[in-house]
Amino acid sequence: MSETTFRGWGRGIAVFGTVAIFLFPLMGMPAKTYLTLTIAGLAMGMLLFLVASGVSIIFGLMDVLNFAHGALFAWGAYVGFSTFKVLMNWVEADSVFQNFAVFFIAIIAAIVVVGLIGILLETIIVRRVYGSHLFQILITFGATIVLVELIRVFWGPNDEVMTVPLTFRGNWDVMDVIVDRYRIICIVIGLTLYGIIQLILKKTKLGTIVRAGVENREMVQAMGHNIFLLFTGVFAAGAGLAALGGLAMAIFSLQVYPDMGSTYLLFAFIVVIIGGLGSVTGSLVGALIVGLSYNYVAYLVPWAAAGANIIIMIIILLVRPRGLFPVGK
Amino acid sequence: MAGETPVQIFHLEERKSRFRSAGFLINTGVLLLFLSVPLLFPSFKTVDLAVKIMIFGVLVASFDILLGYTGILSFGHGMFFGLGAYCVALVMGKYGDPSYLNFIFGMVVATIIASALAMFISFLSLRVKAIFFAMITLAIAELAIVLATKLSGFTGGEDGISVSMPGIFAISFSMGDFMGFEVTGRIVTYYFLFLSCLGLFVLMLRFTHSPLGHVLQAIRDNVQRAEALGYKTFIFQCISITFGCVVATVTGGLYAVWVGYVNPESCLGVTTIMMDVLLMVIIGGMGTLYGGFVGAAFVLIAQTFLPDLQDAANSLFPHVPFLHNILERWLLIFGILFILVVIFFPKGVMGSVREFIGRRK
Repeated sequence: MSETTFRGWGRGIAVFGTVAIFLFPLMGMPAKTYLTLTIAGLAMGMLLFLVASGVSIIFGLMDVLNFAHGALFAWGAYVGFSTFKVLMNWVEADSVFQNFAVFFIAIIAAIVVVGLIGILLETIIVRRVYGSHLFQILITFGATIVLVELIRVFWGPNDEVMTVPLTFRGNWDVMDVIVDRYRIICIVIGLTLYGIIQLILKKTKLGTIVRAGVENREMVQAMGHNIFLLFTGVFAAGAGLAALGGLAMAIFSLQVYPDMGSTYLLFAFIVVIIGGLGSVTGSLVGALIVGLSYNYVAYLVPWAAAGANIIIMIIILLVRPRGLFPVGK
Repeated sequence: MAGETPVQIFHLEERKSRFRSAGFLINTGVLLLFLSVPLLFPSFKTVDLAVKIMIFGVLVASFDILLGYTGILSFGHGMFFGLGAYCVALVMGKYGDPSYLNFIFGMVVATIIASALAMFISFLSLRVKAIFFAMITLAIAELAIVLATKLSGFTGGEDGISVSMPGIFAISFSMGDFMGFEVTGRIVTYYFLFLSCLGLFVLMLRFTHSPLGHVLQAIRDNVQRAEALGYKTFIFQCISITFGCVVATVTGGLYAVWVGYVNPESCLGVTTIMMDVLLMVIIGGMGTLYGGFVGAAFVLIAQTFLPDLQDAANSLFPHVPFLHNILERWLLIFGILFILVVIFFPKGVMGSVREFIGRRK
């Protein structure tokens, strides 16, 4: 009922409402704080985008809801943590080149390791339960338990402090607004990846096949493409995105702990519900909404921070049951 | 008068053979076993295990109503369990005296809140795909944990609340000897919980075997066909979710009575309560109700005696730290077991047994 009522002006409400709500906190704080919080929120949103886009693409193409995504995220963080530990000289070196080099080595290591785990996960476990959402959720939930416990076996059960490469530490002072360097790097990483994903999806043959698969899986098979190979590849790519997100988030929050995945998996779910399952742009918009509102609410009413996102999700579900950017099917 | 038409003869024979069937005998045996546990094994460990098996068996069966009979996966079931436990603990432990009236009052309040919340959640998430239900309930369950931890002025935070029992349920209560056994408050509480769990379970059996329950199974198997037959699937699913959640809430209240202590981790935790329940329902078998008890017994007995196994392994292989590490993380074993069960025995113990019996006939 409400669906038909709101169909005509749903997007208008969404855009106007979002803009109004995100200017609203200005009334409760000085403009400089607002800018700092906005940058923090954008950075957090970009990191959430890295996690959520993986969940979203995997669901869109494979119709699999991957509950193990949070564990892959934590694995990415831990692999990066170990890389930093091994190359501690480079992390502590006072050289921009070495800092960035170690950062990229850590990213590549995390993506490779977690991508391999993703391939194993897809071929051994997830492949057996295509078509049944219930068993997918159950089995990836089981995989989460195993992966998180393996972290505890290999790295120990305690929280660890993440070291930050020297260049990434500290702030810039732009016209009296304090800007954390690493946050800007996060925003750049997020936007770059969004660009890369969109380029691959829109401009390459592979991307065309993936998008076609989201729309109609059987037809892609009928055209002679090996959809299962594609599934494995997309699952691994999603795992790699989660790993990158985990590493970036570990540097952002300065710590790694075995359960870190579950917290961010929840954020990722809220993001994809808001943005619409299967849509990359939806993930970006949803992630920015969640990141920004989390930071504003955490500053204004600290105890309500966890609930604010869930309330936003509920409102969006009531107005647009399939999210802001519904896709296919 | 009876036995005139073939159908009546069939019903009569079925009623006669009912008391000789294997299922009936096993049920009676299990009932008698639970009745005699405090008399046969009076140690605290066994009685505690028996109570937990009963309570978790009912909790898993109520989860099964959602999962096995309605086809909806909810990660918020542990939250309803915790809601019941917290309501009883708040009314009896923190803001009131331990009295019978307060206990009933706490249960009633818990039931009302639970049904309102369950209806709200189902209105919210049933409008879209069923897959959203898992995500939304997970988010709300995590929110509940955060609230229970953060609002420490109201809920006691991480420390939780202790509950003491009134009158004949109190630990210090003693009624003297009865046929050579000392009847203490623990024993009275045991039988009270036994009767409550039995009542709840019979209620759930009635629910699933009622016409309503059959409609729910039809919806689970094929939503479109059920809709085409003229059933309003939304309302039926809503009723089933609310019923399952209310039973879980009552179970939570009973759990608080037995344990006498409530905190976020032991009553609300997604990775503690919810994971155990999922494992139990998968091992026991979805859509069987009885499977809940099989799963609960398996998991809880394993949890109780696994530390002994660890000690044994340590004494047998004292110089293999990796094995020690792995055994220390029994969740790892659980997780692998969980995946294996989902892949190879998707019907669980009860489902496989029923299939086996069905094939022999």
